[in-house]
Amino acid sequence: MRAKIQNQELLRTPRTMIRSTIAAIADARLESPSEDGLDSLRAQTRRIRWLTVRLAATASGCHLGGSLSLAEILTALLGRVMRINPREPDWEGRDHLILSKGHAAAGLYAALSAFGFFDSEELVQRYNAEGSIFTGHVNARVPGVDFSTGSLGHGLGLGTGLALGYRLKGLTNRVYVICGDGEMGEGSNWEALQVASHHRLSNLTVIIDRNGGQNDGPTEDILSQSALNERLLTFGFETLEVDGHDLRALCAALEAPGGTTPRAIIARTQKGAGVPMFKGKGPHYAVFSPEQLKRALASMGEVP
Amino acid sequence: MNAPQTSGADLATAPEAWLRENPKLSNRQIFRHALARLAEQDPRPVLLEADLGGGGDPFEARHKARYFNLGICEATMLDMACGLAHVGHVVFAHTFAPFGAMRACEQVRLAMAYPRANVKLVCDYGGVSGAFFGPTHHAIEDLAILRAMPGMMVFSPADGLETLLATRAMLDHAGPVYMRLGRNRVSRLDAPRDGFMLGRALCFREGSDVGLIAHGEVGVCVATEAAQRLEAQGVSARVVNMHTLKPLDEAAVLETAERTRLLVTVEEHTILGGLGGAVCETVCAHGLGRRVLRVGIQDRYDPLAGSHESLLRGHGLDGAAVAERVLASLSTRKN
Repeated sequence: MRAKIQNQELLRTPRTMIRSTIAAIADARLESPSEDGLDSLRAQTRRIRWLTVRLAATASGCHLGGSLSLAEILTALLGRVMRINPREPDWEGRDHLILSKGHAAAGLYAALSAFGFFDSEELVQRYNAEGSIFTGHVNARVPGVDFSTGSLGHGLGLGTGLALGYRLKGLTNRVYVICGDGEMGEGSNWEALQVASHHRLSNLTVIIDRNGGQNDGPTEDILSQSALNERLLTFGFETLEVDGHDLRALCAALEAPGGTTPRAIIARTQKGAGVPMFKGKGPHYAVFSPEQLKRALASMGEVP
Repeated sequence: MNAPQTSGADLATAPEAWLRENPKLSNRQIFRHALARLAEQDPRPVLLEADLGGGGDPFEARHKARYFNLGICEATMLDMACGLAHVGHVVFAHTFAPFGAMRACEQVRLAMAYPRANVKLVCDYGGVSGAFFGPTHHAIEDLAILRAMPGMMVFSPADGLETLLATRAMLDHAGPVYMRLGRNRVSRLDAPRDGFMLGRALCFREGSDVGLIAHGEVGVCVATEAAQRLEAQGVSARVVNMHTLKPLDEAAVLETAERTRLLVTVEEHTILGGLGGAVCETVCAHGLGRRVLRVGIQDRYDPLAGSHESLLRGHGLDGAAVAERVLASLSTRKN
C-alpha cells in the first residue's frame, strides 16, 4: 500500500472533531474501556448478528449468509470510521455507505438500527411486511441509506459519482462502497473502477466482502475472482487484504492514511459467520422456523 | 464543431437572433452552446461524456472543471450522474441515443428514474439519423423504453429554437429528463414559441380535416410538409408539435380530435410505443372512437447503408408519402 499522505490534516481534523460530538449523543458509539478499545464494537457486532438472525425468522426470511459475513465490516464503518449522525441521517457533512450487494439488506438494516438510526424492534416487526420501508433489498427510504441497491453492479458507479461530486465542491466527505465478490462479475464494476482510478478519487474506498459464495454456489466454481487483489492493483487502486472478521484489522485498513488513489480492501469473510451452527457454510438465503431460530441463537450463545 | 459568432446576439437573452447569426448549427451543436452559455450564470451544471463529445466542445472549453469525459463506459456514466446529482449538481450526461437509452437502460431506470435524480440524459443520433452507420447506431425504440419509466420526462425538440428553450427549461426542472436529438439536420421553424413549456404541446397550424400530431425535428418537419401538400389538395390539416412525449399533453390530443376528423401521428421512432402508442392510448382511454394513422419506423431494422433521408423515405416518413396516406385514409374512412 502507498503510504503517502495527502490532505491528511484536512481529512482527519474535522472527522475527529465531529466524531467526538457524535459520540456524546450516540450511546452506541461510546468508547470501551477494553485494552484495544474494541469491546463495545464487538458487542455491537454480536447485536447485529443477533438481529440479522431474527430477520431470517420472519415470514419471508432474508439473505442470511451474506448479511452475516458483513457484520464486522458494517460495525467498523458505522461504529468507528464514518462521519455520521444517526439522529440526522441526511446531515450534509456525513460520509456515505453504499451497500452495493443490496441483497444483504438485512445485515445493513440490523447494523443501522444497532447504531441508532431507527428502532431495532420496529425493524424486526416490520421487515418485509406489507407497506414497510424495510424491503428485502436495500431501500433508500430507510434512514441512513442514500441509494436503493440490489440490482448488482451499481454501487461503485454511484459511489464514484458521489466521490467526484464532493471533490468538485471542495468537500471532504468520504464514500465507502461494499461489493460482494460474486458481484464483481458485473462488468459495470470494472467500468467504475477504471473511472475512479483515472480521476484519482482518493475519497472513495471499496470494500469487497470476499465470502466466496454467490447465489448458485462457490464463487470460485462459477466465475473465479482468484486474482482480485492483483486486478484491483492493476486497475490503479491501493489494495489491502484483511481478515474481514477481525475488527482491529478492518479499522486499521479503513483508517490507514490515504494516498492519491482510491483504496480497495478485500475482506476475507465466511458466509454465515458468527453462527457456529453453520460451520462456516452459511446459506445464501434462509427462512428460519421458530425451532431453527432457537438453535441458531443457542449456538451463538444468545438467549432465544 | 462549427464555431459560433463571438460577437452579436447573446444566446441567453436573444435566442432567435443568435440562431440567425449561426445558421449552420445542428440541434446537437446548439445544445452544447446553450449549456455552455447557461452554465456561466449557473454553477450547478456538470457535463458528462462517454467519448462521444466530439472535438471542441464549448462547455469543455469554458467550464473545464465541470466537464468529464469518462471514456467508453455509458453504464457507469449514468450511475455516476445519480451520485453527482445526490450532492446538488445538475448533471447532463451525453451520448448517442442507442447507448444512453439501451446499453445503459438499467442505470437510467435505477439511477435516474427511480430516485427522480436531477439528471438530464441528452442523446443525439435519435431515430435513424445515424443512417450509414447502421442499426447499431440507430435508436428506434428509445422513446418507448424511456416513456415506460415512471417519472421520466421525454422530450425531443423540433428545431434549434426549441433546443435552446428546452435546455434552459431542463435546468429549471428538478427531475430526470431524456432529451433526444438528431444528428444531421439544421432545422429552423418559422413558428414562434412564446410561452414555451416542457409538457405543453404547441399548435403550429390550424386545420379542420386532419390532425397531424408530430414529435421531434423529423416528425414536425414531415408533418408540416404534409400539411402544405394536403392544403394544395383542398384538405385542411392541423399540425401539433408534441415536443414532450411524456408527460403527454392529453388536452392537446383531445382538442385535435375534436377539431378534426382523422388523427395522424408522425415520429422518427417505431410506430410501437412512442408517440403513436401514446396517442392511441389516449384515444382509447378517453373513448374517442377515433382511428389513428401512425407514421413512423415500420417495425423493422435497416441493415443496409443509406442516407438519413433515404431511410426515412423507406418508412414513408416524408411529406408526400404522409399526404398520400392521409388522402387514402380520408377517402376510405367510415367514421
